[in-house]
Formats: sequence, C-alpha cells, structure tokens
Amino acid sequence: MKKPKDLKPNTLSLHAGQRPDSDFGARATPIYQSSSFVFEDTDNAAGIFNAERAGHVYSRITNPTNAVLEERISALEGGVGAIATSSGQAALVLAITTILEKGSHLIASKSLYGGSHNLLDYTLPRFGIDTTFVDLSKPNEIKKSLKRNTKLIFGETLGNPGLDVLNIPKISKIAHDNNIPLLVDSTFTTPHLMKPFLLGADLIVHSATKFLSGHGVVIGGLLVDSGNFKWDSSSKFKTLTKPYKGFHDMNFVDEFGPAAFINRARKEGSRDFGACMSPHTAFLVLQGIETLNLRMERHIENTRNIVDFLNSHKSVDSVCYPELEQHPDYELAKDILPKGCGAVFTFELKGNIETGRKFIEQLNLFSHLANVGDAKSLVIHPASTTHHRMNAVALKKSGITESTVRLSVGIEDCEDLIEDLDEALKYATKK
Amino acid sequence: MYYFPFKKVSKKIEPILFVHGTGMDHSVWTPAVRYFLRKKREVMAVDLPGHGKSSGKPISSISRFSDKLFRLLDSQSVRTFSIVGHSMGSLIALEMASLQPERVKSISLIGTAFPMQVNEQLLEFAKSDLEKAIDILTFMGYSNQARIGRNKNPGIWMTESTRRLMQKSKKGIIYNDLLACSNFEHGLEKAKKISAKVQLILGTNDYLTPKIKAKNLIENFKDPVVKEIEGSGHTLMIENPNKVLDYLIEVL
Repeated sequence: MKKPKDLKPNTLSLHAGQRPDSDFGARATPIYQSSSFVFEDTDNAAGIFNAERAGHVYSRITNPTNAVLEERISALEGGVGAIATSSGQAALVLAITTILEKGSHLIASKSLYGGSHNLLDYTLPRFGIDTTFVDLSKPNEIKKSLKRNTKLIFGETLGNPGLDVLNIPKISKIAHDNNIPLLVDSTFTTPHLMKPFLLGADLIVHSATKFLSGHGVVIGGLLVDSGNFKWDSSSKFKTLTKPYKGFHDMNFVDEFGPAAFINRARKEGSRDFGACMSPHTAFLVLQGIETLNLRMERHIENTRNIVDFLNSHKSVDSVCYPELEQHPDYELAKDILPKGCGAVFTFELKGNIETGRKFIEQLNLFSHLANVGDAKSLVIHPASTTHHRMNAVALKKSGITESTVRLSVGIEDCEDLIEDLDEALKYATKK
Repeated sequence: MYYFPFKKVSKKIEPILFVHGTGMDHSVWTPAVRYFLRKKREVMAVDLPGHGKSSGKPISSISRFSDKLFRLLDSQSVRTFSIVGHSMGSLIALEMASLQPERVKSISLIGTAFPMQVNEQLLEFAKSDLEKAIDILTFMGYSNQARIGRNKNPGIWMTESTRRLMQKSKKGIIYNDLLACSNFEHGLEKAKKISAKVQLILGTNDYLTPKIKAKNLIENFKDPVVKEIEGSGHTLMIENPNKVLDYLIEVL
C-alpha cells in the first residue's frame, strides 16, 4: 500500500474549496453577492442557527464565496479552517480577541508592521490587553517576559522592515512549554515560501491585500487555525474550554475538537465584531491565489537580481535581505526559507533624508505608496510613513533610519526595474 | 467513560447512543447531537475507552467495546435505547443489537461493511508508522470530490480536520481500533438476530467500506432501510452532514 498523494500546492491554489457550480456549471467561483440566505423552513432555520445543520445565514458570519477562499487558504497552509476578514488588521484583532480578554498579556516581536504595533501598543491596552515587545530572536527575553496571564506570542515570519526571520521552531517550543500558542503573520512569506504550521506555529494571519491577492486591488485578511494547539492543556483558555453563554452554553473544545478556535472566532468574533470580507473581495483574492506560486517565483527572481544590483552599487550603503551573508538571520533563512525570503526588503542610501526624497521622487516604475506585495513594484520611506508613529527609540529597535528605503519588488521585466533604480540613484546622489 | 453532553440521562426518555469510528471521538456527531438535544431527546455521544476524554487502554475487540457500552448504559439505568454508529461504531451497534435485541429500538449504521477486513499493510503502518496510517485513513476516508473541498460547513477544511482529530489519538488506539474491525466475526449471523429497526446510510464513493461490501449485511437484516448518499465517501457525517441528519431523523 503506497502512501496516498495529497494534491500539490499549484493544484490546491486553483481548486481547493471549489467545485463547478451545481446549478449552472460555472467553472469560476461564483460571487454570492447576497447579504442573507433563504431557509427551507422554520425548523431548518433553527437548525442552522443552532449549528446542527451546515449552511449560511448571513454574510457577516459566512458566505459561500468567502467559504471557498477560507478552505483554499486552509488547504495551502495545512490548517483545519479559516476565516476571511475585512483586512489583515481585522484578522489580527479576531485572533487576539478570540482567546485574550481584559487582564490578558501577550508577547510580541518588537519588529512588527506599524499598524500591528499601533494596535498592540496603543489600542488594546485601553481594553485591558497588554503587550510586551521583545526581540524574538533572544529566547531569554521571551522567557523573562512570560507572565501568569500570558496567552499568546506573536511575530511576523519576516519582520517589518528589517526582515528578521522568525525562528518558529525555537519560539514555538518556548510557547508550547508554557501552554501558549504561537500566532504568526505570514503575509510576507505566503504559503509558497513557508508553511508555518509545519514549523510549529499554531495560528496564522495574512493580509490578503498583499501577495495573496497580488494586484493591489483589495483590502482583506485571513485567519487560519492549525488545529494543533491543545487548548485544554491548561486553564488559560476559558473562551474555548468553558460553556459560552453567548451561544447556548457551547463548549468549543468539547463540540469541535481540533477546530475549536476557528469555530469560536466565527461564532463570536465574526458575529459580534462584524469585520467580514465582502464576497467580491473574496473572489478577487481567489483570482490572485490561482497564480500565487507563479507570481512568487517571479517576485523572488526579480528580488534576488535587484538585491545583487543594489548590494554592489556605490550609492548604496547597505542592503538588508536575509539571503545576504551580512544579514543576522542568513543561516536561519537558508534553513527555513529555502525558496526565498520574500520580495520586500530595505536598503540604506548613502546621504541624508534629502537624498532619499530625491531618489523616491525620481523613480518612474516603482510607485510611491503604502503597500507591499503588488504585482507592480513599490517604494516607500518607512520613517515618514508606515512607522511614523513610532518614537526614535522604537524606530531604532526596528532597524529603521532616516535613509532607509523599502522596496516591494514586482513582476515586471527586471532589466527595466534595475534601470529605473539606477537612474534614480544617479539623480539622487548627483553633486 | 465520557459521553457528550456529560449529564445524567433521564429515565423517562430513551437515549440515542452515538458511537464513533476508528481514532475519532464524540465531536464527529456535534451537528446531529445538537439537533436531537433541541428536540428534547436524550443523547449520549460516547468517547470509546481510550478515545477523546475517556481513559482506558486500547481495545481490539468489538465485543469488549460493546460490553463497556452496556455497562455505561446500565450505570445510567438505561433500559432501551437506539444506536447510531459510524464505521467501527457500526459494528459495535450490530454487536449490541444482536446481543440484547430487546433493549435496542433502532440501529443506524453509517459507512458500514461486513467483513470490515483492514488491509494488512495499513495495520502494520498503524503499529509502526502512525502518521502514514493516518494519512491513508484520511485520504481513503473521503471521496475524490471531498478531497478538493467545498465543505457544507463553511470555512472548514475537511481532510485536515479529520487528520488532526486522529493525530490526537493516544498510542495504540488506532491500531487496536483497526484490529477490532478486522477481528469482528459472525456479522451475518448477528444481523439475523436483530429485531430492532435497521437503517444503513452508505456513500456511493466510499473507498474504505465500499457499499458493495454492505450487501451481505443488507440481505441478512429484516427489512432494512438503505439510504445511499450519491458521491459521498466514508466520512459521511462530515461530507454530507445535512443528509445524514435528515436520514437519522426518519428513524429516530
């Protein structure tokens, strides 16, 4: 008896979660642009509301188009289930609020996307959830920050913007030894470059706005549950192990086993916070995922060429990319990111803030905007934009200076991109 | 032995006993259990010994599982009851209904066959390379279509959920469950002894217990009701939860 062959990533990217429409034979995923769904009769309605029958009620909670996307990302990540949200930020809020409450504490990487940093440092404390920011590459810092009420460790697979590679095997070991799940933001890596669940992560959030959709046309997020974490191994996670009055005393671990987390997130978080993805957005993200692997290969190829170009350019002080030997996570990246370290990286221009301004404004193909992961190449100055709310100390901790430039490399012809960069560099550094 | 919901069963209402299959636990019955609880029925969705929240060593005999369940029912002073069993659980239902026919009102056998002979190599994997055995059981447990997804239950990836549930099994459980299925004997004679109402729910794309292998059983039951779910694989309650529930309601 041979080991069965599960479907491969390219096949899953095209098919997972969808079969041709049974009514009209549509091959593409139909957009179910409907707020609500008709019940067969009153008993059927009661049954769907009571989680005894499978089906859709209201698109804030579930929607057939979104469900295809949720299954597809679960299949690609190797999770038991997922929820599509209105943005990556919404996915992060949903992950946190499903298991943390007033009085809870989490440990997060000090190198986070500015929006995530805002949420954890400024907003969640208002609701009684506190965060300690640490260098997740230092196990002792993590261990020292653990408290009795610590319920989550959170980091990005590739830190923003310094591209610190998250040592998921090591960090998840510390987390699991303390009965804490590890949540990772895998936006920069996508399932093409890394499978965080295989390395030990328990939960994943994605900003689907970026590489997953891939064309800069939607805002969306995804929360994926590995189904691996043993929520009942301690008394910490009462939202999952005790009856929930808000849903007929449902005990999520008892009734849903490995899918406890994602069910609570939907039955409470999606229902009450309401940060749902629109079906049209889900359709566009699905279109993007169909070509995810092809695009990521091209993103990586272009990025490697541009990193080489900049690394040897006389006007560039340094390039920060984990495939370069000078990057502190060079060895770790070789181990857990063999297919590439993403298509977003930073470099330091020689000169001052004015040099940076001139460089960005002179670029022609690279668009100056606050996004990454578009098929088109993008550029930004983090200190004055994405990370502008961070003070000088926090900026320094995140590895950002006034001359840091962040590129998101697209899938154009690389020669054109290099020429664009070269001309802008010459202009910016012209005396 | 743990059962869901874990509360004393009322003597006034005949309970429905839900019995899961190999390497699983009571959580596979959640939708049906919630339905019958809403209808004020008594329900006991058990975790067989060593499974889920139940303690106990692995058991490799259907009759011993059956014995444990009778003891559980006796401890709750349950006299008569109905049984819903999936896969290995269907053999346990068959055994119980043949041993004490007067106590069993109906049996619903989901994804069943006799003999339920398990491939020797799968048994060997279950002993020596459990992950491989789980991969095979998960893969074979779903129809080709279901492996692509489109779950009726939104946002849940079926195959990985089942894999994860099996991965939570304690050491030796899956091997002994499979052995219990293989060791089960005299199924046809036992089928003849049953006086309870009999229902079989079968998937037309079941690769673990193909519907053709239920034919002998069907011929030996008295007036069985056979329901086929077109396109469904072995894990019918997950692939087609609504249809399975509709069929169960007809009998229960």
